[in-house]
Amino acid sequence: MLSVENLKKYFYTSNGIVHSVDGVSFNLRKGETLGLVGESGCGKTTTGRTIIKLYEPDEGKIIFDNQDITHITQNEMLPFRKRIQMIFQDPYASLNPRMTAGDIVREPMIIHGIPKDEHDDRINHLMRLVDLNSEQAGRYPHEFSGGQRQRIGIARALAVEPELIICDEPISALDVSIQAQIVNMLEDLQNQLGLTYLFIAHDLSMVRHISTRVAVMYLGKIVELADSDELYTNPKHPYTLSLMSSIPIPDPDKSDSRHHISLKGEIPNALNLPEGCSFHPRCPKAKPECRSLDVTLKDIGNGHLCSCPFTE
Amino acid sequence: MSENILRVEDLHMSFFTSAGEVKAVGGVTFDVRKGEVLGIVGESGSGKSATMLSVMGLQGTSGRIKSGKIMFNDEDMSTMNMNEIRGRKISMIFQDPMTSLNPVLTIGYQLEESLRRHKWKGDIHSRALEMLERVGVVPAEKRIRQYPHEFSGGQRQRIMIAMAMICEPELLIADEPTTALDVTVQAQILDLMKELQKSSGMSVILITHDLGVIAGNADRVLVMYGGQIMEMGTRRDIFYSSAHPYTKGLLRSVPNPDMPKERLIPIEGQPPDLLNPPKGCPYVKRCPEAMKICMNQKPERITLSESHCYSCWLGVKNNA
Ligand SMILES: Nc1ncnc2c1ncn2[C@@H]1O[C@H](COP(=O)(O)OP(=O)(O)OP(=O)(O)O)[C@@H](O)[C@H]1O
Ligand SMILES: Nc1ncnc2c1ncn2[C@@H]1O[C@H](COP(=O)(O)OP(=O)(O)OP(=O)(O)O)[C@@H](O)[C@H]1O
Ligand code: SF4
Ligand code: SF4
Ligand SMILES: [Mg+2]
Ligand SMILES: [Mg+2]
Repeated sequence: MLSVENLKKYFYTSNGIVHSVDGVSFNLRKGETLGLVGESGCGKTTTGRTIIKLYEPDEGKIIFDNQDITHITQNEMLPFRKRIQMIFQDPYASLNPRMTAGDIVREPMIIHGIPKDEHDDRINHLMRLVDLNSEQAGRYPHEFSGGQRQRIGIARALAVEPELIICDEPISALDVSIQAQIVNMLEDLQNQLGLTYLFIAHDLSMVRHISTRVAVMYLGKIVELADSDELYTNPKHPYTLSLMSSIPIPDPDKSDSRHHISLKGEIPNALNLPEGCSFHPRCPKAKPECRSLDVTLKDIGNGHLCSCPFTE
Repeated sequence: MSENILRVEDLHMSFFTSAGEVKAVGGVTFDVRKGEVLGIVGESGSGKSATMLSVMGLQGTSGRIKSGKIMFNDEDMSTMNMNEIRGRKISMIFQDPMTSLNPVLTIGYQLEESLRRHKWKGDIHSRALEMLERVGVVPAEKRIRQYPHEFSGGQRQRIMIAMAMICEPELLIADEPTTALDVTVQAQILDLMKELQKSSGMSVILITHDLGVIAGNADRVLVMYGGQIMEMGTRRDIFYSSAHPYTKGLLRSVPNPDMPKERLIPIEGQPPDLLNPPKGCPYVKRCPEAMKICMNQKPERITLSESHCYSCWLGVKNNA
């Protein structure tokens, strides 16, 4: 359904060039959920925004439904934007405070020329779909809780019947008990409507739960990608290994008996990328040659992709 | 002297806003023992920060302690000079380090200021360098002259820890110290806190909404909801034999590490509005086992063992 090839997006700032997305490739199959994880600043949001062309890609290709959309104009993009929607991280900032919930959901219908007489029916239907009632359509964002606002964001994304939804940290700002409500809803909607998700998140156990496959990003590159169970039970890349060993486990005994591989130092910023494998300054298994190594994702069996050549 | 460093007794605290009185803390009683890590978990708005701000005397102009007692080392805190206690005997780390670091002063100045204020006996500059080294902000000689914006989020949180611990407090209150950080950095910071806590023997109150962080780091756990304590016990009590419907619901709503794909069981509904808190049990609107009595009367605290207690009418009925 979606194929991203060697995608690059750089930002030219007064401090220098930020290599936010630096050669990302993956395929997204119809009906699946691909999880995208990695530390803050590794380029997850920029990847999502570049795919829906909120940012113009610097290099690479974006193929959606067999059509190359990499460099098409905003006007030519319009029909694709209807088919690819995005849900944003912050349920507080992403809704216009001066619009009612109903009008927020109506807006994409106007943009995409859906006949006016259908709007109200659709809004009612969407509000019910996300477990809000149609009476609440007249209220403003500040009258809703965080979880309810995220539901409005989901209703807005669904308003024009998209096929692919890029979910950028849709649950990070929510309470644990509310996160489960939203995740269940996303799963139900996927089954009912045949949706495909790119699911960006920090919470690695939730990503495992919801994803078919998971991609791990580090400094603008995907370093490992595999089926979600495979990735979590059999991680290969040293970065993924340390990430997996740092996930807090809600079980005292398991938590105590687990060995966690701690990383030295902090993530370097995307301004001055380390030469060679960009993980080498923090990698517990780094060898001298890693400083000049040209690392690329390779299939190490059964579609398990890893960029580190030194795995057992 | 008792083995408690802190005792909070039936604390009621409200914020007075234009919309009315927000009953942020509605009758909270607990102890913190010497040398332990007490974890506090609860949803957003459940009163975790409000309780701790009351302890620190930092509830602000709109906040008011209405009743209750706070004892530090068996002494009533309302009779103490909080300026001498704060930063010296009790320190607090806040969720967002940028709100507590002054952007126009070097971190060295800010570290040393705290030592000056509390009349540190030794050399303040070498003490500041020592703390920076201990929290891994190196090379300390160079870093000490830098400003907060020159550090990453994880490093700023380390600096906050150095600042909180520089006067060797007896109690450290860490309010979501790692929520804004990534898991790898979070693990580093929590390890660092544990190590410093072990070597100094201080007590720590660790506030978080992450059950995993609690399971890995707390000796005892306090579960808060709607401004009240729902359940309290050792981490084994809470994770392996929880008694309160809210605690059970919370544990069910996160993915099970053994069955990661299993459908989640959320707690339906929304947390209560503390402008108009329910008269009875704060959890009544979302509780699958709610009874009539829960609507109108606050449940009593039921003791299950020396370490474990909870507040719920179910227990009263079962005991009867
Ligand atoms: N508009 C912009 N201009 C300049 N730099 C940017 C811009 N947007 C993002 N960046 C930089 O690009 C890098 C990747 O940012 P991005 O927001 O994609 O990360 P992320 O993985 O989504 O992080 P988080 O988990 O914190 O949301 C960062 O170094 C960020 O500072
Ligand atoms: N300065 C304030 N003025 C008015 N109301 C406040 C203020 N601070 C907190 N509140 C309210 O008091 C209640 C308890 O808030 P508190 O900050 O203690 O929650 P919390 O458990 O720390 O939540 P979080 O996990 O979001 O930090 C909430 O209803 C909140 O809206
Ligand atoms: S290539 Fe070298 S530095 Fe990079 S992950 Fe593999 S071992 Fe570590
Ligand atoms: S007191 Fe009642 S409403 Fe509250 S948790 Fe117990 S059963 Fe549920
Ligand atoms: Mg992001
Ligand atoms: Mg708080």
